[in-house]
Amino acid sequence: MAIPLRDNMLVVKDLRKSFGGVKAVDGVSFDVPRGTITGLIGPNGAGKSTVVNSLSGFHGVDGGSVMFDGTDITNWPSHKVAQRGLIRTFQLARELRSLTVFENMLLASNDQPGQTSWQALFLRKKIRDSERDLLGKAVDLLKRFNLFHVRDEYAGNLSGGQKKLLDLARALMADPRLMLLDEPMAGVNPTLAGQLQEHIRDLKDEKGITFLLIEHNLRIVESLCNHVVVMAEGTILAEGNMSALRENENVVRAYLGG
Amino acid sequence: MLHYLLTLAIFFAFFAVEAWGLNLQFGLTGILDFTYITFVAIGAYFAGVAAMTPSTNGGMGGSYIFGWQLPFPLSPVIGGIAAAMLGVVVGIIGLRRLRSDYLAIVTVSVGQIVWMVIGNATPLFNGWDGIVGVPQPYNSVMNLSTNNYEWPFLGISVIVAAIIFWLVRSLTESPYGRILRAIREDENVAAALGKNVFRYRMSAFVIGAFIAGISGALQIEYIGAWNPSGWTTLETFIVWAAMLVGGRGNNRGMLLGAFLVPVLFTEATRWITIPAHPLLMEAIRGMAIGLLMVLAVRFRPQGVIPERKRVFPLTTIPGLKEDVANGHTAQG
Repeated sequence: MAIPLRDNMLVVKDLRKSFGGVKAVDGVSFDVPRGTITGLIGPNGAGKSTVVNSLSGFHGVDGGSVMFDGTDITNWPSHKVAQRGLIRTFQLARELRSLTVFENMLLASNDQPGQTSWQALFLRKKIRDSERDLLGKAVDLLKRFNLFHVRDEYAGNLSGGQKKLLDLARALMADPRLMLLDEPMAGVNPTLAGQLQEHIRDLKDEKGITFLLIEHNLRIVESLCNHVVVMAEGTILAEGNMSALRENENVVRAYLGG
Repeated sequence: MLHYLLTLAIFFAFFAVEAWGLNLQFGLTGILDFTYITFVAIGAYFAGVAAMTPSTNGGMGGSYIFGWQLPFPLSPVIGGIAAAMLGVVVGIIGLRRLRSDYLAIVTVSVGQIVWMVIGNATPLFNGWDGIVGVPQPYNSVMNLSTNNYEWPFLGISVIVAAIIFWLVRSLTESPYGRILRAIREDENVAAALGKNVFRYRMSAFVIGAFIAGISGALQIEYIGAWNPSGWTTLETFIVWAAMLVGGRGNNRGMLLGAFLVPVLFTEATRWITIPAHPLLMEAIRGMAIGLLMVLAVRFRPQGVIPERKRVFPLTTIPGLKEDVANGHTAQG
């Protein structure tokens, strides 16, 4: 059911979600063009997190639709959304503490044998072989994110910055087509924030991954994103590139504090 | 004395199997099952009535369902399947909710309901009196006395325990087991990485229930009888204590825990009696189990044998052998 639109990875139409009487998201529509880093900004309480949770299947929506790469994924459960290639990260690094860095990485792959109980019992040779290939892939990513030397460490023992990097590296093991990064730079020192930006830009250029980035630091958004969506009070306030948005009176009043 | 040691060895096998099932549910997946013994009991009852001769309804043996006279490997399988089916029912009620504390409440309630129903609905398993006269596997052909029968039954128990160990080990050391541990740590992360959390929790819970049922089946076919006073909340917490002391998440730790708690601590102290107060020792034992759990969780939550750290030798990774040879492994 591919609907030929201008080449958009994600098309969100009239998304609605209430919690009790609070309309957290009230008719939100925006696109994420393929191969871009699209920013989603807005003051606290604008509904950004609700959008992220709705897109990634962490809660259902009351109305509207989400098209991901030509497929309607509205109200899909989170694991199906992820299997499709839309991988999200969380605001705080969510390492799996008692799994090693390597195990965190291997876990993320969804096309390995042995993920069901029957396969675990009867496909042991196949599992060994695929595990070896996946380890090779994990090694490449860990080297890229400078985590190779802690590969056999429990993820819970990593430093805060390393956990952030592991979050990103782990998500990449799942071969995402679209990555939804929920404030990846929050609570990160400027040096590491710079590294993370480099990584995101490189991944877009090298692997052609599309990003939807939620970020409060407007300087980062300006340098990374060619397309920015501004939310406020559950609706879309404006869309465009950052320099145009800086001229937009509504945006300035709601968010930029001009 | 030999007879006594043999009995202890047989009980060791029962409890090891029990601990492996609970470890799959809680140790690996983090599911709080506070009525684990109910699955053991369901396995025992169904295996028992599957192996017995038909009920004469109201005669000497009491009344019960089935009476299929199935031979040994089949009757425990019936018991395991029955326990697994109860697991499916409990899972559907309790596992849809993502948070584990809801399930804990559901398990306690279900355990109480099942206990009351079995006690009061006499036609099922002869009510509070329980079923007696369950035939011992193959003893109708071997015709051994109780004492001599212990050797072959120990053999049977060891074989069953070995099969179950192979099962839980294969599950633990696989991508499946890794996903279970990930769900234990953070189910949202597992879901965000494409894992169907409900299905995995359900399957771990049901397989754990099946293993519990197998242990119960072994027990009834050894003891020959089963009634509601034999499976109370205390029995559940003995298995919990064994798992916590042994080391949750570690299948070898379960062996140690099963040896230390139910065998050494509970069964081997049965000969200690206080003649003036015949029930006192049992009560002290119950308190001691509770204390043991508190101490284990407070001072050594990972257990005596902690969960094993999985290390991947780099030599098994293609394209990395050169790096290793040149000593370039320290930094990426």
